[in-house]
Amino acid sequence: MTKREKILLKAAVAFAAVSAVAPVSNAMHIMEGYLPAGYCIAWGVICLPFLIAGYISLRNRIRENRRNMTLIAMAGAFIFVISSLKIPSVSGSCSHMTGTGLGAVLLGPAAVSILGLIVLIFQAVLLAHGGLTTLGANTFSMAVAGPLVSFGIYKLCGKMKVNRRVSIFLAAFLGDLFTYCVTSLQLALAYPSEAGGVAASAVKFLGVFAPTQLPLAVIEGLITVVILIGLETYAGPELRSIGFLKGSIRNEKGGR
Amino acid sequence: MISIDQLAYQSALRQNSAAGKMAYAWMTLVVCVAGRSLEVSAAAFVVNGFLVIRKGKISPLRYGKMLLVPLAFLILGTVAIIVNISEIPLDAFAIRLRGWYLTGSRAGVRKGLELCAVAMSAVSCLYFLALSTPVTDMLGVLRKIHLPSLLIELMLLIYRFIFVLLDTAERIMTAQKCRLGNRNLSTGIRSFGMMGSALFIRSVKRAGALYDSMEARCYDGEIRVLSRERPVRKKEILMIGAWEILLVFVTLWSIMK
Repeated sequence: MTKREKILLKAAVAFAAVSAVAPVSNAMHIMEGYLPAGYCIAWGVICLPFLIAGYISLRNRIRENRRNMTLIAMAGAFIFVISSLKIPSVSGSCSHMTGTGLGAVLLGPAAVSILGLIVLIFQAVLLAHGGLTTLGANTFSMAVAGPLVSFGIYKLCGKMKVNRRVSIFLAAFLGDLFTYCVTSLQLALAYPSEAGGVAASAVKFLGVFAPTQLPLAVIEGLITVVILIGLETYAGPELRSIGFLKGSIRNEKGGR
Repeated sequence: MISIDQLAYQSALRQNSAAGKMAYAWMTLVVCVAGRSLEVSAAAFVVNGFLVIRKGKISPLRYGKMLLVPLAFLILGTVAIIVNISEIPLDAFAIRLRGWYLTGSRAGVRKGLELCAVAMSAVSCLYFLALSTPVTDMLGVLRKIHLPSLLIELMLLIYRFIFVLLDTAERIMTAQKCRLGNRNLSTGIRSFGMMGSALFIRSVKRAGALYDSMEARCYDGEIRVLSRERPVRKKEILMIGAWEILLVFVTLWSIMK
């Protein structure tokens, strides 16, 4: 073996060992303590306006009908459970959904910002995915940026009369991809490359996480479509109660 | 189901004041992350390990396994920081690939390793908190520092629902597995999606039933629960204070050096 082959072999062994040892880790949560303090605070501050808007929207919904309280909480727990379960028969150590695209399509981006924050806190404290100091950065990528893109694309496709299933797929898929890009950019801003600065660093982070995140985004899109097809078939009244199927087929007032 | 939650309830530190534990974990976390000093990180890592295993009586094996959870992110992220792609080789190492180099500088490698140390010590702080304080106790503290009550109630309800839904989801997934529902990727995706929609329908129904039962018990828009008062002991305040001051001094000393 030449020296280079040896290095390659070692790298391959190390990579395999990591995939075997690390049982459940969601690669797109920035881990605890990984960002410098200044960035932690800055991302938290950037999230604030979105969180305040989400808080006001949730408060109004609950004032409108107190029943919405348990419904919103149940939706939050649903997002947590969907994103904490490992997708079966998908290889790789980090095969989890984000669930935020689904949440954004069902509940709207404002509600998802607050629910996403709560879900991220519980993921940090109960599952050790993500962390408390990186909460701001993770909230921005997973609970603000991703859902906003998902919701925007879903609405845009609705306006352009794209097939409903295709638009749901695109919303979840692109929302997931956007989350992954934002996370890579957050890491790159905090750790610019010695050769090439932030841009080169962003390319590196994108490249390192791409092998797990790209297939996962496709899977997330497919699963979201399957879930919504199931819901539209069996759960018309429930969907109307959260204000989802408003514009379609029958027009009933939400909130029973 | 969620092992961290069970361990938190079993911990021997459970009966200590939640406010004290949270203050300790938060302050140590902030000093570690803001100070970025190797000495402080090592000290915090050791002390947190001691507190979790010795004082909290959590099995060292489980704690060790949990420390490995963020490993994949740590290694991938650090590789991306240390390794550069450039036309000019840097001083620590360089692998030639068709005129380009996969290369890194000594300073970069040192920074990457330091980052790993800081991140692992921060993770140990998070684990100390997660493995000694159940979520309900944490929510009690958050209520005392006057976070909006809507947020706290949502968190309380979500926390309660997580276990109900997780149980349902696991039952559905077991049933699917029995019927070869995850034979290959396409059935796996279909099964997971079907589980998701069934779970959602059930959760909406449960939310309605729960509201009815709460209203039958005079729910008027606010959930009030009595929490047992566990004030922070003077000895704990002194020890936490002394520890944090020590950490700050060590950080300053290592910056001056």
